Amino acid sequence: MPTLLEVRDLTIEFRTKAGIVHAVEGASFNVERGEAMGLAGESGCGKTTTALALMRLLPYNGRIVRGSISFEGRDLVPVPEDSMRAIRWKEMSIVFQGAMNSLNPVQRVGRQIAEPIMLHEEAEPEASFKRAGDLLELVGISRNRLNDYPHEFSGGMRQRVMIAMALACNPKLVIADEPVTALDVMIQAQILDLLERLRRELHLAMILISHDLSVLADTCEQVTIMYAGKTMESGKTMDLFTDPKHPYTQGLVGAFPDIRGPRNMPEAIPGDVPSLISPPSGCVFHPRCKFAFDRCTKAEPALTELSVGRRAACFLYPQVTEVPPRPIAITEV
Amino acid sequence: MRKGLLRELAGGKPLWVRAVDGVDLDIRRGEVFCLVGESGCGKTSTGKAILKLVEATDGDILLEMPEGEARAYEDVRQRPDDPEARKTLDGLRRKYSVTWKESLPWTVEQALKSAGAFLAAVFLAIVAPSLLLAAVVEPFGDPWSTIGLCVSIGLILGLIGSLPPTRLSRRTRVILTLLALGSIIVAPISALSLHRALVGDVSRFDVGAALATPWTQELAAMLVGFAFGAIAAGGSSSLLLDWRSRSEGMAGIHMRSIRRRLQLIFQDPYESLNPKQSVYEIVSEPLAVNRISTNPGETSALVREALTDVGLRPPEEFLFRFPHELSGGQRQRVSIAAALVLQPDFIVADEPVSMLDVSIRTEILQVMMELRTRRGITYLFITHDLSLAWVLADRIAVMYLGKIVEMGTTEQVIGHPMHPYTKALISVVPSPDPRHKVERIILKGERPDPSDIPPGCRFHPRCPFAFERCGWTAEEVADQLRSLKAGGMLATASGVDLSDAGNVRLSMGGGGPDALVRELNALVSERRETLLPLKGIAAVHATNGFVELSLHASSEPPLLEIEPGNSVACHLVSPPATVSESLTA
Repeated sequence: MPTLLEVRDLTIEFRTKAGIVHAVEGASFNVERGEAMGLAGESGCGKTTTALALMRLLPYNGRIVRGSISFEGRDLVPVPEDSMRAIRWKEMSIVFQGAMNSLNPVQRVGRQIAEPIMLHEEAEPEASFKRAGDLLELVGISRNRLNDYPHEFSGGMRQRVMIAMALACNPKLVIADEPVTALDVMIQAQILDLLERLRRELHLAMILISHDLSVLADTCEQVTIMYAGKTMESGKTMDLFTDPKHPYTQGLVGAFPDIRGPRNMPEAIPGDVPSLISPPSGCVFHPRCKFAFDRCTKAEPALTELSVGRRAACFLYPQVTEVPPRPIAITEV
Repeated sequence: MRKGLLRELAGGKPLWVRAVDGVDLDIRRGEVFCLVGESGCGKTSTGKAILKLVEATDGDILLEMPEGEARAYEDVRQRPDDPEARKTLDGLRRKYSVTWKESLPWTVEQALKSAGAFLAAVFLAIVAPSLLLAAVVEPFGDPWSTIGLCVSIGLILGLIGSLPPTRLSRRTRVILTLLALGSIIVAPISALSLHRALVGDVSRFDVGAALATPWTQELAAMLVGFAFGAIAAGGSSSLLLDWRSRSEGMAGIHMRSIRRRLQLIFQDPYESLNPKQSVYEIVSEPLAVNRISTNPGETSALVREALTDVGLRPPEEFLFRFPHELSGGQRQRVSIAAALVLQPDFIVADEPVSMLDVSIRTEILQVMMELRTRRGITYLFITHDLSLAWVLADRIAVMYLGKIVEMGTTEQVIGHPMHPYTKALISVVPSPDPRHKVERIILKGERPDPSDIPPGCRFHPRCPFAFERCGWTAEEVADQLRSLKAGGMLATASGVDLSDAGNVRLSMGGGGPDALVRELNALVSERRETLLPLKGIAAVHATNGFVELSLHASSEPPLLEIEPGNSVACHLVSPPATVSESLTA
């Protein structure tokens, strides 16, 4: 059986008035069946754009320039929009960022959960609503609340409803974009617990997007660190967090205070995230990197395998190669 | 700083939400005090109440109280019925409380004083205009009358000018202008009267002739009158203010100058900065509002200093930028600068970094901590992030539904939590190190509505360790029994409801009272460890046709000092003596 999701050299651009935004460049990662992969990085690093591209939901001014997204061996990039509908929600689904605002405020939640079932599986309304009730119970809400409106739910409950919606058509992969941001710690723990339980019970693969490394450290097997649209490092959670290779990962890990560790003030990464319209030359991280040397400003490091399952893009490691010059993308008119 | 706070905020419904209830905390000079808890627990309301941005319903906010007097305050607060203690308490409040207003009893002395003041005011109100009128209609002939007139005008203007705030204000300028105008009007009149006295001609008013007379004598008399009047009024009103501030405490009169020393940093730098103002305007506005500096050069120097202090270097580069031209971190630095420019002693930081990216977050925290060492600023840091509290705080208070459930040094509260809520909260904080995995205690449900606070310990419905004394209500027990019945248990009962007296009442099924009592007792002893509401049942007894349950007496656990400097509000950790005391109370 092929790998569930294999992303290779995914490059996404947005056309804006200010110029072309290189939102994601050369993202590559794998997600196995039943595995949870974490996608981490600061805001504006391309996490959400990657997620939207996987679902082929990029806004009108964004496009995939290069690369492949193969889902169960089938490349999704050239798939026409009509056929994409058969894949979306049935094969993979997404829990959008900001659950509070993703639900339709004037529609009862039961209808909102049943809608994808009716659309994608062409099920009868009655059966769909029955399934919607089952889904609500699966995420820990009583089915009596099918007829409630979103405003009658608390933030944590709405997030549960969003998760129930994502599970509506039994997908194999669920992408959760900042599923616990803006929720209280206790609710956060409840939601993470729920996701973990669902993953175990339904044998789901999951892509968890978060700016909070500690959330990923608790829940994911694999983690990919992104910065300014580029993948900096990826590997097994345990290795990556205990022995970060890339200076950016080191900075990021050091920036989080650890309640179970010593009482040290976290360390800052000086500087700001660069503009994606005119990114710095060479390694995108070099203006903020304390180890940067000549080569970093001139050439771009390629994401290279350092040990089994562990990849990093940094010239500090001698085996890391330079990115070969890319063919200039033909701009569509 | 210390306060006993009982605060009610108006909710959306026509009922009162007790957002913060009896919070006592003292913050020592130079420390970082963290207030942590879930959203809606009242931490922000507490922070705002300390700055009097919302008025507390009851309680004191005491500022800069020496330790000895703080101890005396605590001591006399325990004895509200003792008249001697009340007197001391009032004295302490008068001296240190920001919120306290004295309500004096209406005595004969007071009545006489008020009557006197009233009469004086009436006298002034009648005499001053009549003097003026007399001056115009039939001008006085001698300098003494002119002095009298000018003194009364000066007194009135001086009194108005010295009403609080007593600092140089726009009003002062208006009054000076009025005085000048007054002299211009009064001068020819007085000159005319002198002219009459000298020449004896009363037939017509000749301004030229009046001005031509030697009137230096009159002018001197007038100036003396104005100056004396204004100084006398200013002096007496400042004496009056002094007396008022001594009798009414710091409330009202000094709040502005106090607020200058107590500042606030808001959570969201994208919303707390005015998009139409430049950085210079934002940072210099507090200086203008508090009338610290009116001189542009001085203002600019202070603004630059504040910007340099928060790490916006060089300040010239940022002075004329607008908020949209700044990154999130820079915005938050600007809002810190706006708080800093007044040289505060105490800053309430309400989630100052929760909206910022991790890498920027640390820089802001470092700036804040650096200012603490350099300027000796005390922080009340409000956050929901316990791992931040762990690295920043000297002391921590954990709040739940408007009450402090645990308070102590950071090592004690986070390292060795005693309250079940604190334990659960700490266990669910994710750690960036996957090696540090712990057993998570996930609490069921969400926090209750603050307008409907559970009786007894307010945490008991979610507490995994709740026991008999924690405040189980008849409704909770009845609900539990109903769900058991729905699950096929309690076959010998036909229904569960509440009696008129508010007790749980089970109506009999087929088996008779004894069978039901037996089944209930067996059920309770078997399931009480998993179904905690069953623990609330104290006794089961059969009465005419029903089986009634009596529940354990409960009380709200007080915040008690368990170890020196570490207080917990939980029946589980209370010293046994205190528990029995609070139960009988």
